[in-house]
Amino acid sequence: MRGFLFLGLLFLSISSVFGQDRQTFFTGFFPELSLTKKLENSNKLNFKVENQHVMYDNRIGDKLQFDHYRTDVMGFYDWKLTASTSAAIGLFHRFQDGADGNRIIQQYAFLNRLRSFQVGHRLRTDQTFTKGQNVEWRLRYRIASEIPLSGAKLDPGESYFLISSEPIFSLKGGSFNLENRLIFTLGKLYPKNQKLEYSIDYRTDGFFNNRFRTRLWPKIGYYYNF
Amino acid sequence: MRFIKTVVFSIFVFPFLPSFGFAQNEVKIEREVGIKEKLVPSEASEWLYDAFEEAKKPNWFQEFSLNGYSYEAKFRLEGKYYSVEFDSLGKIEDVEIEMDFDELDDSVKKNLNQYFSDNYEVHKISKIQIQYTGEEDDLEDFFDENEKEGVTVRYEIEYRGKVSNKVDEIWEGTFGADGTFITKRKIEIRITDNLIF
Repeated sequence: MRGFLFLGLLFLSISSVFGQDRQTFFTGFFPELSLTKKLENSNKLNFKVENQHVMYDNRIGDKLQFDHYRTDVMGFYDWKLTASTSAAIGLFHRFQDGADGNRIIQQYAFLNRLRSFQVGHRLRTDQTFTKGQNVEWRLRYRIASEIPLSGAKLDPGESYFLISSEPIFSLKGGSFNLENRLIFTLGKLYPKNQKLEYSIDYRTDGFFNNRFRTRLWPKIGYYYNF
Repeated sequence: MRFIKTVVFSIFVFPFLPSFGFAQNEVKIEREVGIKEKLVPSEASEWLYDAFEEAKKPNWFQEFSLNGYSYEAKFRLEGKYYSVEFDSLGKIEDVEIEMDFDELDDSVKKNLNQYFSDNYEVHKISKIQIQYTGEEDDLEDFFDENEKEGVTVRYEIEYRGKVSNKVDEIWEGTFGADGTFITKRKIEIRITDNLIF
């Protein structure tokens, strides 16, 4: 309960600061679903869907809306390299009004198991192809710490706190951009390899071209590994 | 701002509903929960402070398994991590202390290296704990006065091991006082998809 209160207050304080500001700010609803099939050779197949609906945009004014912003569908083949490292390639399609796009993704991930929490590192490169636009090249690195809230290790039925940060460097048509994603999550591990997460995803970009933008997404994520 | 509050309210209240649904179907096989020292059997906390007078603010855990439950105290002393396990009545079961490979006797290192090179193509040790088991008084004498009588020494070693043509796995192996292999069990890593995808 205290965790939910923390996430709620965090959301309110960030939206209060940026909701009134002149810089672009929008927020909404962001559910995500991730299904992972473990293969016999220990590799994995992952399917993921993310959906973003905008409920408030300060460019439109003080008006509640429920507009589809984008839906991303992606699939990954993940090779287990060692017990704690893996490499994956992924294909991605974006449904967005006037900006449908395709992306290919390459990633390397490794897990640090520490005494009372674990840290996941993910290095990704991707190339996005959108009709009528230059190819966007991105390099991103995410560090995420998952901390069990009871006991030193996470067991089924227990909750955890997760914080992650991901700087994303992009190059598109000679223009360089930097985005950062900071995510606070309260999650719970359920039996049969299921995780349910409630997050505040705070994204900032447009640092260099005077188009500073913040996006704040309350997220609900469901992960199932079978 | 009213609508933002409405959004927050709806988003942070309705999540409790699915949580309820999931929670009712839980089957917990093994878990540990942090607990306050006052909830630990006094026999356990008294033994701990008798044997380790310098121990400050240990973290106490209650561990549940299919066989019942036990208690564990974890603390740091003189730069080393200690883990002391008690049964459900507070009787001492074992003491484990983390150590580096370099601190092992040469004969132990030799036997361990022999085991790993005989059984794995690639291996990497991530954690070594020296484990002391014995009767309550024997263990207390060992830590108070370094009297070794009645105390059994073993090593618990967590390592990554790769057998040729197979992917590597994480194992917890138990080795005798001279570093000879006794038994091992595979360590399952919980779902980490949220950290990878």
